Amino acid sequence: MRCEEARLQIGAEPGSATPVLEEHVQSCPPCRQFREEMRTLDANIRRALEQPLESVRSPAMGGARTRARGPAVAWRQWALAASVTLATVAMLALWLLRPAESLARDVVAHVRDEPESWLATQHVDAAGIAKALHGAGVELNITSDKITYAHSCWFRGHYVPHLVVQTAHGPVTVLILRHESVSRRHEFHEAGMTGVIVPDGTGSLAVLARGGGNVDDIAAQMQQDVHWLPQGT
Amino acid sequence: MRNSQPESPVSSISTRLPGAHAAAPLTHLFESLRPDLLRFAHWLARDRAIAEDIVQESLLRAWRSRDALKEPGAARAWLLTIVRREHARLYERKRLELVPLEDVVDTQASPRLAEPDGDLFTLRHAIMRLPLEYREPLVLQIVGGFSTEEIARELALSPTTVLTRLFRARNKLRVICGVAAAPDVSDEGAP
Repeated sequence: MRCEEARLQIGAEPGSATPVLEEHVQSCPPCRQFREEMRTLDANIRRALEQPLESVRSPAMGGARTRARGPAVAWRQWALAASVTLATVAMLALWLLRPAESLARDVVAHVRDEPESWLATQHVDAAGIAKALHGAGVELNITSDKITYAHSCWFRGHYVPHLVVQTAHGPVTVLILRHESVSRRHEFHEAGMTGVIVPDGTGSLAVLARGGGNVDDIAAQMQQDVHWLPQGT
Repeated sequence: MRNSQPESPVSSISTRLPGAHAAAPLTHLFESLRPDLLRFAHWLARDRAIAEDIVQESLLRAWRSRDALKEPGAARAWLLTIVRREHARLYERKRLELVPLEDVVDTQASPRLAEPDGDLFTLRHAIMRLPLEYREPLVLQIVGGFSTEEIARELALSPTTVLTRLFRARNKLRVICGVAAAPDVSDEGAP
């Protein structure tokens, strides 16, 4: 059995253990390791697929049930008052937290919209990087063989460079946000991603890693590697 | 039509059809398999409400052709097959209104509340995003418990093509989980 055949079988059926496959795996450490990785992954896929579905009904049905119970007038008044108070508090909190929180949310949403960005393995050539940086007003010191994804993306009314940089801890997404200034470092954890937005140059840098990667080191490195050009260049 | 019948389709059938009480064990069997069917349909359709419609319709179809079920032990695979075909039929019959996947995932499962494990959420999200040609055999294999040969028969593909699709599905998920992609197999049907 060739390695390619073994990997096809392992990737398709990680639990399979035919005599031919076993014989190959015993004599081929890379395929053995591949099988261990795939079995671990498969256990997680199984967990993800078999997790019970939520029992929550749609809001429309919930609303219908609430109306059918016919709440008392006094209760409605209290509920109305509580709703107004809650809405006021929520508005106040939103207003206080707005700039960095909403920017982080938009960054996460953007990255989630481009899941293929994490998948790229081929490095982007210099022309591709130059295209992604076009009009962004920055230069990069980073070597191109570390960048596996480089696009100029529409984000909050501007085209911004969206890069994925390969690091020792895996791929890391970097958005160079010339038009988004933040006053201080803002860390966030959302949708399985850890990120940080740091002020830099005339704008900011957003750095995201999946899981709990150390994004501060990468952000610090990017602050050194990104050179902001004067406005209008 | 959607969500218009909150009661169990199986129990509602058993009260409507004459002579249905004689088939009570069968209705109980169907009912006990309903969560599995719903989960299966949900992963195919990626929409809870559509999945409920599919399961409802599938159980009706299964009930009408219940004589075809000879062995109660085969009921699960038989019903899952009906669900898969009902899902395929739904997409053939009408072009469904498309909803952004972000909205589906965000509004239906409240995953960040239900799943503090970010990796698991990422994986669920990634599975949802797999193209149907990869997601369907993976769900048939893991949720349905079908063998490669059974999946091949059901999808009218060669077993090698099914193996390739299963390999590629896992390879895509592997990358999303932060592990380097394995070299792809050469071509579908030719390992």
